[in-house]
Amino acid sequence: MSATTPLLTIDNLCFDFGQTEKTIDSLELNVSKGEIVCILGASGCGKTTILNLIAGFLQPKSGSINLQSESGKKNSIGYIFQSDPLFPWRTVEGNLLLAFDLNRNTDRSKALETISQYLSMFHLNPQILKKYPSQLSGGMRQRVSIIQSLMFDPELLLLDEPFSALDYYTKLSLEEEFCQLVKEKNKSAILVTHDIEEAVSMGTRALIMSGGKLVKEFQIRANSNIRGSEEFAKTYREIWSELKTIISG
Amino acid sequence: MENTQNSKLSFAQRLLYPVPMILFVIVWYFATKNDEQRQFIFSTPEKVLDALQRTIITGELLQNCQVTVMEAVIGFLLGTVVGAIVGLLLWYSKLIAQISKPYITALATVPIFALAPVVISWFGIDIYSKIALAFLSTVSVAIVQSYQGAMSVEKRFLRLMQVAGATRWQTFRLVVIPSSIIWVLNAMKLNIGLALMGAFIGEFISSEQGLGHMIVKAAGLYDQATVFAGVIAMIVIALALTFIIEQLESVLMKWKAV
Repeated sequence: MSATTPLLTIDNLCFDFGQTEKTIDSLELNVSKGEIVCILGASGCGKTTILNLIAGFLQPKSGSINLQSESGKKNSIGYIFQSDPLFPWRTVEGNLLLAFDLNRNTDRSKALETISQYLSMFHLNPQILKKYPSQLSGGMRQRVSIIQSLMFDPELLLLDEPFSALDYYTKLSLEEEFCQLVKEKNKSAILVTHDIEEAVSMGTRALIMSGGKLVKEFQIRANSNIRGSEEFAKTYREIWSELKTIISG
Repeated sequence: MENTQNSKLSFAQRLLYPVPMILFVIVWYFATKNDEQRQFIFSTPEKVLDALQRTIITGELLQNCQVTVMEAVIGFLLGTVVGAIVGLLLWYSKLIAQISKPYITALATVPIFALAPVVISWFGIDIYSKIALAFLSTVSVAIVQSYQGAMSVEKRFLRLMQVAGATRWQTFRLVVIPSSIIWVLNAMKLNIGLALMGAFIGEFISSEQGLGHMIVKAAGLYDQATVFAGVIAMIVIALALTFIIEQLESVLMKWKAV
């Protein structure tokens, strides 16, 4: 893959749930390596549908979705859900070893080593490995869920409002940890969110969606990611002003 | 879960368990006291105790219990295992599940009493016909419950497996089976009573041994005390088997208790 080739290319994508109105209407989107693209928009505008189409949970009516995987792996997408998909009958370790269980040509001790690295990256105590998901707090569960997804070593991460159910401080630290990880591991991500602050602090780009289309794009500079900075406030105001116009019709 | 509910009860609350039974025995005692006609129809607590004592000492009760337990347990295990396997495998094909639905419903709705004479004529009057009746009584419940369990797997788990590139077999093994265990355990709890009933019906219609045989024989002689002794033995067997299933549940579902 050349440096200019996007990791993900969505071309003229259309989808509907059988109604006359299209849920996704002629959508075009490119995501490059290292980018965090945030999609904002009112409820029901089709944000989650895009992720479900990219993940293959839904089949497009027309158009194409191309993922130029560097490794050529079949599972180069990771999906981080709003409600974590941790299996309640498995311990945290069992959940994190899911990738190993599905693809046994890796070494178990190597998998455990990777888990240990991720635990430290997400500030989690290794003692939680023996616990069940029901014994963890919401923030811990979401961290484990992100690690579970990362264990498959995906190139593109899809995040569907993963931090919305968390308390403010947990949310802030998880956002920071996630951005750090994307940078360090050179991953790409598409984040669907209602939260403008989250989009500005995490994203490299913010897209506003309305009526199944991406109607506006904002480039977010690195110094805009710093909460409380003038740049952050400015980008926030611009996005909010645009969103307000769209929502009020 | 029942175990969790039980553990929430205080010691004083647990002492309330035998109260309804004690009340029942007291009412029974006073209702039949000094009334021979009532004693003939309903027997009395003392006569039932005597019958229990007598049948235990002679070995009659234990011998018949052994036969009934063996028939019911083998039928129960076969019915539950076969039913659970079939029910879970139906997850693989919606078409086959749809086609088999009326057949499973038919099997579940046929009164086992109606099938008993035919089954006895096929398998004879020894224990095989009773095992077959216990099997038929339990298999449809196990199929329905485990299929429901397999179809009730949370979407997010299936989506995780899909996005992870898991094969259908991996999804079945790692998600569908563990998710459905609670349903299979519920089927097992329901099936204990049904298996005992199947075995009992077989013995009731035609047999040479077993609690059903003992009860029919005693009823023919108007020996109500022995009939009740047999009924009590059936209840004790059902409770013991339920206890075993609950222990199995606490092992398999230990993650629920944490």
